[in-house]
Amino acid sequence: MFGSYNIPVELREGEISVSLHREQDVLIYHRECLGDACDKRMFSKAEKILMVPTEPVTLPKAITPYLFIKFDKTLLLEPESTARIYVTFPVEIGVFASGGGKPQFIDGFTLAQKKFTLYGEPSTGKICRYWNSDIHTTIPEWDRLWEGIMELNIQNTDTDWVEVKKAVFNAYGIKIFYDQGMVSMKSIMKLRPGDTAETSFESSPIKAGMKKSVERYTLKKISVATGKFVMEHGL
Amino acid sequence: MIHNKVIYGNVTVLDLAMALIILIVSIGVAKGLVLYTRRLLKEKVDKGQLEIFAKVLYYVIIVTAVLVALPFLGVKPSGLLVAGGVVGLAIGFASQSIIGNLISGIFLIIERPIKMGQSVNIEGTVGIVEDIRIMSTTLRTFEGLFVRIPNQKVFTTNITNYVANVARRVDYTIGIPYTAEAENAISLIKKLIEAEPFALKNPEPVVYVDNLGDNSVNLLVRFWAPVSEWFSIKTKMLWRMKKALEEEGIEIPFPQRVLWFANELKGSVKADPESVVGKEAEAENLS
Repeated sequence: MFGSYNIPVELREGEISVSLHREQDVLIYHRECLGDACDKRMFSKAEKILMVPTEPVTLPKAITPYLFIKFDKTLLLEPESTARIYVTFPVEIGVFASGGGKPQFIDGFTLAQKKFTLYGEPSTGKICRYWNSDIHTTIPEWDRLWEGIMELNIQNTDTDWVEVKKAVFNAYGIKIFYDQGMVSMKSIMKLRPGDTAETSFESSPIKAGMKKSVERYTLKKISVATGKFVMEHGL
Repeated sequence: MIHNKVIYGNVTVLDLAMALIILIVSIGVAKGLVLYTRRLLKEKVDKGQLEIFAKVLYYVIIVTAVLVALPFLGVKPSGLLVAGGVVGLAIGFASQSIIGNLISGIFLIIERPIKMGQSVNIEGTVGIVEDIRIMSTTLRTFEGLFVRIPNQKVFTTNITNYVANVARRVDYTIGIPYTAEAENAISLIKKLIEAEPFALKNPEPVVYVDNLGDNSVNLLVRFWAPVSEWFSIKTKMLWRMKKALEEEGIEIPFPQRVLWFANELKGSVKADPESVVGKEAEAENLS
């Protein structure tokens, strides 16, 4: 389902159906997903649409740029060690009109469960998109339409053992890659003394030949914000 | 020449014109700069901070312009400082509340217990902060009214800021009949909370039997929601819970009272013979 399609187009896979056709100067868009429908009319000369995975923090409403992944099992790391694990993350599918310039976002939908959580205290914490994942040492089985695979490289720079039960990421740093079989991300978690950590993303796929997806959360050139996230409310 | 005509002291028409030009130009420059700054920093700086910065910039330019214009009107700013001691004392007594509001406004801007766009309750007035000015704060109430509150009152009274924190708790008390299984009702409510995206996973929602009321077993339901979604979730979830409980055959009980009589009531109810005959006749006609 991911990729670029010429208009008119009609796609159907499982619980998802998307159609886009032209009536004179107007593009008629219709989408259904798990009983939820979206209809739009566009005055555009676009000739293609892109269906790609996007940052999984925008549905049902983009109220936060943070993604919280809760591990099913606690991870223990010995002092000054590294670990490579694989976790899943929710996939959100974005539909973009592709003309001459920058792709224009039309619609987003997901088959994954939508849930939010609070990381930290109500006064100082962050609202995050919530996801629960088991931890794996090799790439696990997945359903590409609603689950992606994240390779997480954890570095324990502390001189003590560290327990990790969750990871929080900033969508402004997310780099998603996809092919017809998989959606992936590669991230780093640097554990720091005092139960804190810094998370960031690498701009490379977890296997060769995957395409980079369109980014909806992009940092402005003049901005003090970065795509990193400092986990200061516990691990 | 008219421009050399003395108006008072050494101040000529030209001096007066210069002072006016300086003031008018500086007001224009200040407004232009504020507008340009707002456009430039609109997406980079928080709206509240941007407004404060714009105001400070505006007043700094105006005060500087006044200080530059004063010598043209025969007033030396250094002389003002000397005279200011005596005059200031007199003005201070005369305008205590004005000065109080001004100082409170400055402290409000520094301490920032409220920001523009936030929902607050200031001494019983509930609304959205529209503006925090030097002398007063303005609110737009949820009924759409404009309310101006002097800064001294804002600063010295209790303020409840509904959106200062990122999450807020939703509380319900739901009564179920004594005949219903409380475990079933609790499990049903927990499933509804789990299915709602904006009912936060953490802090963990709690649902438990809180007390045994006069007419019902009262369940306490508590869960957290992002502050931006709090009101819509609070209104939506209660109705969902009511409908789901009813679908499971758990009615929300009405207040009721069981009466026990000390002496057994002796009496019987007899049917009215005429109405019985009437109904039999109707039945015959229909058949």
